[in-house]
Amino acid sequence: MSNARAGAETVISVEDLRKWYGEVRAVDGVSFDVGRGEVFGLLGPNGAGKTTTVEMLEGLREPDSGSLQVLGIDVARDPGALKERIGVALQTAQLYPMLTVTEVLELFRSFYRRSLPSEQLIEFLDLGERRNGRTSELSGGQRQRLAVALALVNDPEVVFLDEPTTGLDPAARRALWELVKRLQEQGKTILLTTHYMEEAEVLCDRLAIMDHGRVLEMGTVNELVGRHFQERTVFFSAIPGLSDERLAGLADVTGVKHDEGEVLLYSRDVPATIGALLAATESIGAEPENLGVRRATLEDVFLDLTGRALRD
Amino acid sequence: MTALIALTIANIRSYLRNRQAVFWTLMFPLIFIFLFGAIFTGGNNSIKVGWVDADRSEASAQLRSAFAQVPIIKLVDLGQSDALEQMRHGDVSGVIVVPAGYARSAAEARQDPSRQANVIVYTDPSQISARGSVMQVTNGVLAQVNLGGRLPAIVATARDLQTQDLNAVSYLTPSILGMALMQLGVFSAIPLVADRENLILKRLNATPLRRWQLVGSNIVMRLLIGIVQTALIIGVGAFVFHVQISGNPLLGAGFALVGALSFLALGYVIASFAKTEDAANGMVSAVQFPLMFLSGTFFPLEQMPNFLQVVARALPLTYLSDALRQTMVNGAALFPLWVCMAVLVGWSVVCFGIAARFFRWQ
Repeated sequence: MSNARAGAETVISVEDLRKWYGEVRAVDGVSFDVGRGEVFGLLGPNGAGKTTTVEMLEGLREPDSGSLQVLGIDVARDPGALKERIGVALQTAQLYPMLTVTEVLELFRSFYRRSLPSEQLIEFLDLGERRNGRTSELSGGQRQRLAVALALVNDPEVVFLDEPTTGLDPAARRALWELVKRLQEQGKTILLTTHYMEEAEVLCDRLAIMDHGRVLEMGTVNELVGRHFQERTVFFSAIPGLSDERLAGLADVTGVKHDEGEVLLYSRDVPATIGALLAATESIGAEPENLGVRRATLEDVFLDLTGRALRD
Repeated sequence: MTALIALTIANIRSYLRNRQAVFWTLMFPLIFIFLFGAIFTGGNNSIKVGWVDADRSEASAQLRSAFAQVPIIKLVDLGQSDALEQMRHGDVSGVIVVPAGYARSAAEARQDPSRQANVIVYTDPSQISARGSVMQVTNGVLAQVNLGGRLPAIVATARDLQTQDLNAVSYLTPSILGMALMQLGVFSAIPLVADRENLILKRLNATPLRRWQLVGSNIVMRLLIGIVQTALIIGVGAFVFHVQISGNPLLGAGFALVGALSFLALGYVIASFAKTEDAANGMVSAVQFPLMFLSGTFFPLEQMPNFLQVVARALPLTYLSDALRQTMVNGAALFPLWVCMAVLVGWSVVCFGIAARFFRWQ
């Protein structure tokens, strides 16, 4: 497993973190480090333990065991000092629906010893038009930008974003991705959770794939994909009468997977595999539909690790 | 401190912008006062009025027959001391006294416009409906009798007489203040649970904001609303229904404060055990209706069946309302004031203790 980027100071350090709720092992021995200026992602399906992990880092939940250090602060020992220096965006539905954007920002500024001017945050998050509008009247994307603005009120060194784009339309999602990149340019360290593979690929310098409270794999996107697949993926709609054994025997195929009515062939030599596939389908009087080729993705990695698809 | 103030201001803004919440917290108790005030002060079509004729002249007899022709009043002939005594006991709603020498001064007044004859009218300012009727009838009759003269020869001199027993509105005003303070506290559970459900409490917990600041701002806001409520209720009682506010204002304010705190504590207990806003709504109803109806809010405890009186003695609102009646309108004491204070303080301590133990922020 790779460590934080070489040379970078470690600002988040998680070691053998555990949190059980009765029999449910929400977090079951999680360890990772995040270097200063990194965007680190926890990728996994709902219930994988991502949010529980992040909330323990934010001082909102107490771990059963394990050690947590953020910015050199022992989270368990001094959550108050920690909270001055981190920013948090929860998957919160709504904060103070009756107040305006400016009023909520001013309210949150009052909680911190040091804070940025509201106008600067409004500018940065492109909320100018809505500054005097009630938060209940914001669109989903604006609401999420306000949540990020609130996370930035104290100009934190570390920002936690929990599922920042869940429920957003594609345009709003892209706008938020831009925002995260700008935060990284400012030198902030960002820990985000997501169950969108594409989001993890676009944003994260490194990521940990989580499932059932454990980290299954960790590294950069290229490392993760390269570790699992030297091959490319040939995909097509499943054809009845073409057995997995037959497919596995096709030229240069190293693996066969099924994903929601789609067959995935991992191939060392795409032209050879497709040629063999066409011959095989012709022999049973069929034709592969929706045939295509792609590089392996995080989705494939997750499928390979757990035997099921990440997207729900 | 800045955080506490900022959060209090944010809470007040949120509250004031929620028109429905404002309407219900401020108007609901007033609706009760108006409703019961109207029931208890309106009513009987004919009003009994004591007639005291100290002049025993032809002129006074004529005046009596003029009054007797008015259908909505029923005259009862009495001696002056009897009449006032009966009025104190509520047997008559007012007393009209024709003073000795009336015939002569009336005759003189007809000759000399600078002079006037007097009729004295006693009414109770807290019985507004009866008072209004008696005064209206008197003025109407005298206007007829005076007809023809350029200036009124005979005028009514109004005298106030506070009846001995607490009349209904005087009883109700402090009771409804108690009820309003109870609701203010108990209902605070609902937004609190909603904030927890919407993860607002969790989000605040991720900032350096201290929990005492959060709880403190909530309590300060509720107490400020309580002050407005108290002013409104006492104002309506005093100025609309002429309730005589007498007693110890400092002691009354002290009880209002401790009472508000004890029911806020109860609100926190509810918020500790209600997992959802719906559950909180149900629990609030389950708590506030018995408190409202069994604590002697609308009628005195003695009028309830014995077993309910036992229940009432276990309810904190009984003690708050009793203390408020004692300190605001000189109501008869059910319990000594120190007992009321001890019960309310004890209740606050126990409830805040339970809440501190069981309240969850997320």
